[in-house]
Amino acid sequence: MTSSLRLNLGPQHPSTHGVLRLLLELDGEKILSCEPDVGYLHRGMEKMAEKMSYIQYLPLVDRIDYLAGFFYSELLCGVVENALEVELPDKVRAIRVMLLELNRISSHLLWIGAFLMDLGAVSPFFYAFREREKILRYFEKLTGQRMMYNYFVFGGVRKDIEYLEDVEEILSILPEKLDDYEKIITENPIFLMRTRGKGILEAETALNYAITGVNLRASGVDYDYRHNDPLYKGFDFRAVVMDGKDSWTRYKARVLEIKESMNIIHQALVYLKEAGKLEQKLINPLNLKLPEGDYIQEIEAPRGLACCYVKSTGEDKPYRLKWRTGSYYSVNLLRELLKGEYLNDAIAIAGSLDIILPEVDK
Amino acid sequence: MNWNEFERIFHGCELVGNKIVIQSNLLGVIEFVLKEYPYDMLKEIIATDKGDEGVELTYHLYSVDDEEDLFISITVKDEIESVTGIFKSAEADENEIYDLFGIKFIGNENLKRLYMPEDWEGHPLRKDYKEDDKRLEWNDKQS
Amino acid sequence: MNYLYFLYIEFLQKHGIPKLFGDITFYVIPFCIIFGALLVVILALVLAERKLLGFFTQRKGPNRVGYWGLLQTLADAFKLLCKENITPARVDRFLFNLAPILVFIPVMAAVGIIPYSAEFTFMNTQTNVILYLILAAFPILSVFLAGWASSNKYSLFGAARSISQVLSYELPITFVLLSVVVLASSMNMTGITMAQFSKWGMFGWFVFPCILGFIIMFISILAELNRCPFDLPEAESELVCGYNTEYSGMRFALFYLSEYAMLFANSMFMAILFFGGYLSPFGKYLSNILFGETPFASVLLYFEQAGWLFFKASLLIFVIIWIRATLPRLAAFDLLKFSWVVLLPLSIINLFIVVIYKFILGGLA
Repeated sequence: MTSSLRLNLGPQHPSTHGVLRLLLELDGEKILSCEPDVGYLHRGMEKMAEKMSYIQYLPLVDRIDYLAGFFYSELLCGVVENALEVELPDKVRAIRVMLLELNRISSHLLWIGAFLMDLGAVSPFFYAFREREKILRYFEKLTGQRMMYNYFVFGGVRKDIEYLEDVEEILSILPEKLDDYEKIITENPIFLMRTRGKGILEAETALNYAITGVNLRASGVDYDYRHNDPLYKGFDFRAVVMDGKDSWTRYKARVLEIKESMNIIHQALVYLKEAGKLEQKLINPLNLKLPEGDYIQEIEAPRGLACCYVKSTGEDKPYRLKWRTGSYYSVNLLRELLKGEYLNDAIAIAGSLDIILPEVDK
Repeated sequence: MNWNEFERIFHGCELVGNKIVIQSNLLGVIEFVLKEYPYDMLKEIIATDKGDEGVELTYHLYSVDDEEDLFISITVKDEIESVTGIFKSAEADENEIYDLFGIKFIGNENLKRLYMPEDWEGHPLRKDYKEDDKRLEWNDKQS
Repeated sequence: MNYLYFLYIEFLQKHGIPKLFGDITFYVIPFCIIFGALLVVILALVLAERKLLGFFTQRKGPNRVGYWGLLQTLADAFKLLCKENITPARVDRFLFNLAPILVFIPVMAAVGIIPYSAEFTFMNTQTNVILYLILAAFPILSVFLAGWASSNKYSLFGAARSISQVLSYELPITFVLLSVVVLASSMNMTGITMAQFSKWGMFGWFVFPCILGFIIMFISILAELNRCPFDLPEAESELVCGYNTEYSGMRFALFYLSEYAMLFANSMFMAILFFGGYLSPFGKYLSNILFGETPFASVLLYFEQAGWLFFKASLLIFVIIWIRATLPRLAAFDLLKFSWVVLLPLSIINLFIVVIYKFILGGLA
């Protein structure tokens, strides 16, 4: 007679990147079913919004995803600017795009390190952190903060861009370092063994589970919101679409996406070096009231499409504010994706989806 | 979309921008829409508490090929049929709404208190929610 | 060893102590020496590993306690000594406490039978290669005890993985060992060492006729030591800490230290089998070159021989640490498959090659 074993993976487990809890039912090391349990980091972001004015809420949204804070402040700023029909000056757009893409690179770098750590390789973690550190140093110089930047404000940015030579330096060293990573990781036979053909995510499944971002594009679906985003208008770039569907492709797609982001940053940098002084019309945040109506704003965050929905009744506080985050749907996907896999593949597969818990719990 | 035919089949619906506001038969509407148009992703379900009217659920559909969004909105009192049969991603959204708004989704078996403790009273995102759980008092005493 | 033995007995008889006492204590003294030396070596190894890993990942490694971080491991060991020994409520108390004690005993014995130099062989039996093999596989039993007694699912998985891993990698090791025994015509480690002696120094080493065997052995030893890329039993990202998840304080330290002791012992074992053990790679010893054929040189020779053995072992350890810094971890099933499908057939082929080689060599001679 055989009976299954219930294993409680997390919330205090070294490889769940925070406080994800997976209730696994195991037969030997084979997973029969997986039930994700989230909410250990729930901060009530949506409830808080209903009690605060927009400017009071702005510093908080960085914390939704502490690895990619710029994206969420951009979302909230975008909602307000759209509602008040404010057109952003080109220079502000360039600054925002450059910082967003730098932020995307730092987030992907951290993912590469953490993913390889999950697979048991120690060194890439430190290598990735070394480069990420350079980006964080720049953010700290510019905004005074390493993670919770609070730099974008309604209608523009808090202050003019500075230290562009640091960005140039990052751009000049990154390609070389990326090649180094690829040398040590990409074609490593053990890495291939662990990731090739593991965690196959078909395009239909991915769409049905509302998976977005790199995970969707690595399954062969060409959907990158940046192409429709007015913020990115005038930037020339291609979405990284690969058709491998497995963990390895998701890794490779992220590496290629870093390169694509570097391309975008380069374009922004060229523009910013020519551009004159910053001229922006900031929206007065005091007594800021959005006209009555529903507003929805989307952005391509590192972990998938992020949306911010605001329903305003004309008050100085939102009547209802809802976040859509990419990771939340990836966690739901684990139910399907981990079924029938073995325990040590499960960690690699869950890692390859790039789940981050503050984003899930909101 | 052939709006006239649509209106004939589903009574009492109206079109505001790209948002269809319907009164009932959510699954029928979604199936009808999907038959004609390739909406392949349910990006999210937005719930808004409208006080006495109930909770408004807005289904945010998206078509990757056409790059087009569609919103289907329905106002419910306390329960509605689940769309997990069509879109698996709804499992996540419905669970969240069940936890924070207290709407039951018929047909979704995985509903549980997601963020709040199992025995928490009330649903925090409802407008009539009062913060009077006993555990909150305990928190106040500690500080 | 006989020379030292007679010196000792003579010394005791001069002071009127019976021979029986000397017979018994003669084996206790070297054991104490080994134990003390082993502790120092382990502490150095832990530090070396951390320093090297730091070097490979462009960090400084430990550098706060003592000059250049030299006292770091000592401080860590002291911290572990001071920590509370937690015995979880639901564990099998007897086995839980027994396992960390048992893990150290075979390691000590294994270190004891290694010939450090022509004289420093504390326990010499005719077939000590086989004895070593048995002792080296022994710690896995206490690992299993620990995993089972912990009543923890992660520990159980770690222990089960350990057992299956060691079982499947023991066979290739045995076949490679057989080929070395064929080459040396001896089952004694001193005999194997002496069989590698040639006047051209390192060209008599068995690593040259048996290079395939060495590679198989190296990989299998990595697996048996639970070292990266075969560190599945304690795969942090999957099993938290594997079989020693529930252990704390000194009990954890015993597991931890025994792993390093085993690493050291196995590296020396490999050095003996393939790299001529305590023989000098130049054919001539430095002490003889420097001091001629004096008595002082002949005493110094023993230490130099031990030095060569340590040097060869530490080179192997360096490679093992290097591998750890480079490679990710294998998946459990690939690991077992790799042993049964690749290593085992290769090791049998290697045995055939070596037998034919030996036959031709013997036929010529």
